Amino acid sequence: MGRSIFRVGLPQSNLERSQAMTSSFLLHIQPAKVHKHSLKAGYSLGLGLISLYLFFILIGTGVLLMFYYVPSTDRAYNTMKDLQFVVSAGLILRNMHRWAAHLMVLFVMLHLCRVFYTGAYKRPREFNWVIGVGLFLMTLGLSFTGYLLPWDQLAFWAITVGTSIAGYAPIIGPKVKYLLLGGNIVGQESLTRFYALHVIVLPTLTLMMVAVHLWRVRKDGGLSRPDESGDVVEQIPLGQLPTNKSYGLMELARGTTPQVGKNPEDEVFSWPHLVFREILLFLLVAAVVLFLAIFWNAPLEEYANPIHPPNPAKAPWYFLGLQEFVSYSAFWGGVVIPGLLVTALLLLPYLDRNRAGVGRWFARERMVANSIFTLCLLAAIVFTIIGTFFRGPNWGWVEPWRRPPAITEGH
Amino acid sequence: MNRSSMVRFYGWFTLLGLLVGGLVVLGYYKDEYREWKDYQRQFVQEEVRRAATPQQKAVAESTPIEIRQILLPDLNRVDRCTTCHLGVEDPSYGGYPQPLAYHPLHEQHPFEKFGCTVCHRGQGRATTVADAHGDVAHWDQPMLPLQYIQASCGQCHEAAENPAAPELARGQQVFETSGCRGCHKLDGVGGNIGPELDKVGARRAPEWLKKHFLTPAAVTPGSAMPPQKLSETNLEAIVLFMLSQTGESAPGYYASMKVLPSVDQGQRLFQQKGCIGCHTVGGQGGKVGPVLDDVGLRRSPEWMMLHFRDPQSVTPGSVMPKFGFTDTEARALTEFLLHIRERNLASTLPSLMNSAERGRGVFRKYGCAGCHGPDGKGGVPNPNAKTAEQVPGLIYVADGYTKDELKKRIFNGQREITPLDPKRPPPPLYMPPWRSLINDAEVDDLTAYLFSLLPKGENTGF
Repeated sequence: MGRSIFRVGLPQSNLERSQAMTSSFLLHIQPAKVHKHSLKAGYSLGLGLISLYLFFILIGTGVLLMFYYVPSTDRAYNTMKDLQFVVSAGLILRNMHRWAAHLMVLFVMLHLCRVFYTGAYKRPREFNWVIGVGLFLMTLGLSFTGYLLPWDQLAFWAITVGTSIAGYAPIIGPKVKYLLLGGNIVGQESLTRFYALHVIVLPTLTLMMVAVHLWRVRKDGGLSRPDESGDVVEQIPLGQLPTNKSYGLMELARGTTPQVGKNPEDEVFSWPHLVFREILLFLLVAAVVLFLAIFWNAPLEEYANPIHPPNPAKAPWYFLGLQEFVSYSAFWGGVVIPGLLVTALLLLPYLDRNRAGVGRWFARERMVANSIFTLCLLAAIVFTIIGTFFRGPNWGWVEPWRRPPAITEGH
Repeated sequence: MNRSSMVRFYGWFTLLGLLVGGLVVLGYYKDEYREWKDYQRQFVQEEVRRAATPQQKAVAESTPIEIRQILLPDLNRVDRCTTCHLGVEDPSYGGYPQPLAYHPLHEQHPFEKFGCTVCHRGQGRATTVADAHGDVAHWDQPMLPLQYIQASCGQCHEAAENPAAPELARGQQVFETSGCRGCHKLDGVGGNIGPELDKVGARRAPEWLKKHFLTPAAVTPGSAMPPQKLSETNLEAIVLFMLSQTGESAPGYYASMKVLPSVDQGQRLFQQKGCIGCHTVGGQGGKVGPVLDDVGLRRSPEWMMLHFRDPQSVTPGSVMPKFGFTDTEARALTEFLLHIRERNLASTLPSLMNSAERGRGVFRKYGCAGCHGPDGKGGVPNPNAKTAEQVPGLIYVADGYTKDELKKRIFNGQREITPLDPKRPPPPLYMPPWRSLINDAEVDDLTAYLFSLLPKGENTGF
């Protein structure tokens, strides 16, 4: 019975350890053996995997929430209340979904920083970096579309502000905004569109891109590491395949898979070294998300009211840096800066062709690149912090420790 | 694979596994424990204690612990109040402390049709005390304090002459006589200097409203509204009336039930249906039907009810058509006719008044008194206005204007009021243009009324 499900039993020998990986559908995307360097927690920090786990948690909780949620401006808010007050585990599910979503945005950003600071986007991983930037944008899109669904004041005005930032782009901006909202203001059409994007379009695209991203990690030779250049094997032109080898075509398509690497003594079996670590990390992520969900409730404000904007109306936190920019100049903050940033990120591996310093954190050889990136990162963080904590009514300067009591509407 | 690293792995598995497992259990208990369950157990205990026979006891003990709710799709509400307030429909729970107390006097508004929050406000979907009573952030409908509960009657019913809501009627009276409509619109009638009041009851809390009436500028900096001199009773009454203005409309079934058979309602129907086309009251009207001034002495209310339903059934050969009045309408008309003489109601029928008398009603309807004082006598402060820092009175307009000039003045208003001292802030009150807010016939009546204000013997005939 057990054998019919798990084709190999609990592995006892090295042969069975490799079979455990290759014969399991879920595990076979990973290699049978993995380089020791890839397992070092201090190198990758597990950030990509954490993002993936958060994505899985989001899919799981999201599907369960879909059994209750109704994407209608009349009923969406009520379903939030029902989740909170009468649905078994409804509140915890919604909390998990909310906190996991914020964490995913955060960890995808951290993952991007890690890959930059270790120079891991360089040849042959250029294109995987581009896919990664795409996934970063997908994550923002997922979070942003989900933000509207509770249909409360927070949702309504964050989306109103967020989409108006999009509207600042020349020529296409207003069109994009109209397309997203299905009108000129946030309404039922917007909710329908955001819902469809949030539960079908973006998750499907993201899942496919994640698959390609992971596949490329393997095909590009596993995680980047410092001594990589030493074990690159010359690519063998098609037609000259050695006939005495039993490699498959796939392993020979590129020269840097761990199996082909020169130093078998630096490699360990994925079962248990990789797989166990992955399971442990999942438990850790699950524990953190559960902990947050049990003790902190996801925000839910008043029912959306298009004629009573909060002052100030703020976008979701990851767009507050942009909103802060926009408060100085709509054109520069809403168009030029984000446009330049995304373009620079996408083109980065093709602009920075220096091969030195791959696989080490903050390599001296990459001083210039690291400094520029750090500067941009710091600016983004500072502007986000200002937008989040230091902006009060009419986007005026407010020190958070001297915040005036909230202006209430008479209660 | 060496042993020690395997041991380390399993140690971590145990630790993190226990952590996740513990959190799942904690989450489960947090989800399972809900305070309403305690209240339901309290109720079951009480039921068991009161059980007289073993059978009753068994029934009481088997009461399920579950959410109780009243679904009100037409009102877009789900009221779960009865999840904790389990004794509301059982008179034997009269005098019990909350949450088990019986709710008296609800025959007119059965729970299954009206729920609770329509009158009491709060958050019907919530199932914790704080959330349900609305005492939480991000819920703008806290429970209405019981002293203002009559405000809820006014959400559906006409305030005047609703015998169950005397405070509401008083509030409306204060509102109409204080001239609030001079600046504020309510139900589409009134000026536009101040904000519309159609939804003010959903927006503002009682405390805010009170402060606002006494010193408007204290809660709304820069408000042009003059402080109101109101007795404590009148203040509470007008706050209550404001709270009744929630802008909620009663749909379907509720709309059909909301008309109360009052004398006012009867008077409106009498006017609208054109009864005086055939009948005479107060010496005016048609001659086809009988005079109605003394009909209350001649006919019983039962007779009148039958007559309104089908005139021929009680007066064979009557030419009066069947109007298809509803029971409520028939009762309202009956009320009106019963009291027509003793209260001199004929004089309140607009079509029987002369122009100046109707104009007096127009003056009241649009709240002119709010700025120009009761009966146009003036005296309302307007700081820094050249006219003695007051809004001018109106009793001498017949001296200064022709009727056409006066009409033009009312239609166009005067935005810029000449200041006494140009250096000080401009006078806050001004005459709004009434052109789109008032109709021609009303202006004719209003000017006639204003001309009639001139004290006798002072017409110098300019």
